[in-house]
Amino acid sequence: MKWNWWKILGITFIFISLTVGMLIPLRPGIVGLNPLQITAGQTVQFDLEGYNTNFTNSKEAKAWLWLDKDHIVKANAVQVIDNQLVKAEFDIPEHLPEKEKRTAKLSTYDEVNGFITALGRPYIKDGTIETSLAANQWNAKINNSEKIGGINFPFLPNIYESVRNTFYHVALWFAMFFTFIWGVVHSIQYLRTLDPERDFKASSFTSSGILFGILGLVTGMMWASYTWGEAWSWDIKQTMTAILLLVYLAYFVLRMSFEDDERRARISAIYNIFAFVCIIPLLYVIPRLVDSLHPGGQGNPAFSTGDLDMKVRVLFYMSVLGWCMIGYWMSNLFYRSKKIESFLLENDI
Amino acid sequence: MNKYSAKIFALLLTFTFLFSNAILAQGSSPDFMRSIGKIYVVVGVIAIIFIGIVLYLVRLDLKISKLEKIIKEHGED
Repeated sequence: MKWNWWKILGITFIFISLTVGMLIPLRPGIVGLNPLQITAGQTVQFDLEGYNTNFTNSKEAKAWLWLDKDHIVKANAVQVIDNQLVKAEFDIPEHLPEKEKRTAKLSTYDEVNGFITALGRPYIKDGTIETSLAANQWNAKINNSEKIGGINFPFLPNIYESVRNTFYHVALWFAMFFTFIWGVVHSIQYLRTLDPERDFKASSFTSSGILFGILGLVTGMMWASYTWGEAWSWDIKQTMTAILLLVYLAYFVLRMSFEDDERRARISAIYNIFAFVCIIPLLYVIPRLVDSLHPGGQGNPAFSTGDLDMKVRVLFYMSVLGWCMIGYWMSNLFYRSKKIESFLLENDI
Repeated sequence: MNKYSAKIFALLLTFTFLFSNAILAQGSSPDFMRSIGKIYVVVGVIAIIFIGIVLYLVRLDLKISKLEKIIKEHGED
């Protein structure tokens, strides 16, 4: 029993990631912005529709309309209607600094909800292009730009609450790598020692790695169908993972095609090393060269957690560790049943 | 295993299927999955992971049944 502490730890980690992952709030955001077409030189009243916001408790809400860091106007008046609705009135300057800079951003700050930038981008019609005059008119400063504190998930356009899937979908990939690594380590050990138990271990770990891979692919398709619009959009990472899983599935087809135990073990160990080496180009090299719908495509393709702050990231790694431990446990159970089977057959029971 | 177990299992499966279909037909609208900030996508993902673990359990069950069969045949010899 004393060696089972890690199983309890793994279950605890997954339990925490499931409960906390569903309970941590989403950072407040502004989903609705009206109007989105404004005219330069006029006074405009915007309706801001909040998500997860708590405007009525805030003492003083501020709002800014800005083209870039140097061109900002402050709202004349910000009126809180209820928790999810705020009206902000702006005098839009009649001069604009550049021809291309016509899409503005709208941000609000109050001490309860922190700094929020609306998802909608209002477009400014008409107005004259006068760089120096515009600099005088767009002359406000944003002096509060801290986001809300505490533990919360980032508010991302199009993704919204489904950002919680980083705890479940992304953690599965880490568990897949972990079990594949254990599998290939046992394959190498088999080739060194020719101990059949190593072969059982290698195949058990690889098979649970494939389970995690298929689960990751299916959960990704579920997530994609409501954020990218299609379950399968031939995204580079989707495609490469599918190829990788086919390479690994061939490992089991190969295993089934041998009658002799020793030959099966030896050839499948060599194939497993080949399949593991395939991970590097398929998941680490090619996705870096091609545009992807996945976040973080230009940087580290394995990570989409760049938007998570430190506290949430700690919980995310907890989920990863939990899934790795459960993956180890699952593989180990299968390995033990294989060992018993071989014992029974060997002793001709 | 008694001889009715397969029939009972089929019956239970049919009832579960009909029941869940009735619930889905009642509560689903085209935008159900996108409501409340797409939170049901997360629910769906967790459900898929659960199904995956159940599949793993089924496979382990089959494996252990095989072992039990070997032991049972040995006992009869």
